Amino acid sequence: MTGPALSGTQEAILAAFTELIEELGSDDVSYRVIARRAGIAERTVFRNYPTRVDLLLATAAWIEATLFAREESKSIFDVPLAIRETMQRYDARPELAHVVAETAMRGVNGTAPSPGREQLERLLDAEVPALDPAQRRAIVAALAHLDSVGTWVTYRREFGLDRRDIADAAAWAAEAVLDGIRGRVTPA
Amino acid sequence: MEEPVDTATAILASAAVLLRERSFDDISYRALADEVGISERTIYRQYPTRAHLLAALATWIEQTCFPLPPFVTVSDFCAAVHERFRAFDAQPAYAFVGARASAISPTLDPEPAYITRAIEAMLDVAAPTLNRRDRRRVATALCYFSSAMFWARLRTGFDLDAAEICDAFDRAAGPVLAKLPATTRSRPTTARETPNPPVTAWAEP
Repeated sequence: MTGPALSGTQEAILAAFTELIEELGSDDVSYRVIARRAGIAERTVFRNYPTRVDLLLATAAWIEATLFAREESKSIFDVPLAIRETMQRYDARPELAHVVAETAMRGVNGTAPSPGREQLERLLDAEVPALDPAQRRAIVAALAHLDSVGTWVTYRREFGLDRRDIADAAAWAAEAVLDGIRGRVTPA
Repeated sequence: MEEPVDTATAILASAAVLLRERSFDDISYRALADEVGISERTIYRQYPTRAHLLAALATWIEQTCFPLPPFVTVSDFCAAVHERFRAFDAQPAYAFVGARASAISPTLDPEPAYITRAIEAMLDVAAPTLNRRDRRRVATALCYFSSAMFWARLRTGFDLDAAEICDAFDRAAGPVLAKLPATTRSRPTTARETPNPPVTAWAEP
């Protein structure tokens, strides 16, 4: 879920770029400035991330896996709670949230749009194994969609909601998605 | 497509042509200027950053290629969303631009999309007595499940085609619509086009 292991240098580059995105926005940050902030040579940044797109995608994946990491849910029915917390985390770092949201919407050239998919499938299979494939897929897809920064961006932009209302509405929708399977858990 | 009337629109029309063969990231202002037959500086004047260009391009594509079928009732809404997802599937490069533009930090005052207003208007009619918070919960969920982002995530993250994405939409929107007051709720299943609708995923417990 956290992607390929990063070297110490790579992590320093991504952390430096992340800081600069919050200070300056993602458009205006040069490799020279990133190198200086990370305390390494500009050449080293280029060697690790040959293009700005490479750098941006790696940074977005790193931000999602570290700064926006979710507390692991033990049950599929805990997922709405995790979504509520995650929305509040996105709200605290709006610039970074937009970067993660945008890079996940680039199709095959972007970051993985549903990094939590496998975990959701595992939880669902463990508790409610008797679902037909289409229903299983729909529940996982809907929860993965809600448990993403796209929710925070959309609810804020389209409805002007604040942190509390975004968290409420996202968790509510996730509860609704689970409505059809609440009573279908396999007894332990 | 109509004949472009001004420079700003001509730039967008040319960008859309280039999108057929390369991704948005691979469309440089230089290449775009050559395609339109104007200077790079003119493009910068219209679209100071790539985010401005992306936002304008998405709006233009939405109006030109993905006009939203009008809807008033819940079942018309579901049918309109299906039609939209099928249109996205037919022109994925364009739909991804829409999904991506809806995720960026807004360059101008964010205006709610037309579909957002239409969903709110639909709920005003379908559930006039519903309290404000629940209405907002329903509206946000329907808006988000009918979005280009939903289509993009299911296509890239789950390898689904238009029919499967429409099915996933029905199953996600079903339990949300089931929260509307029973007296006003139209049956979401009327929008289904499959001859054998699957067992309702949102059966009441």
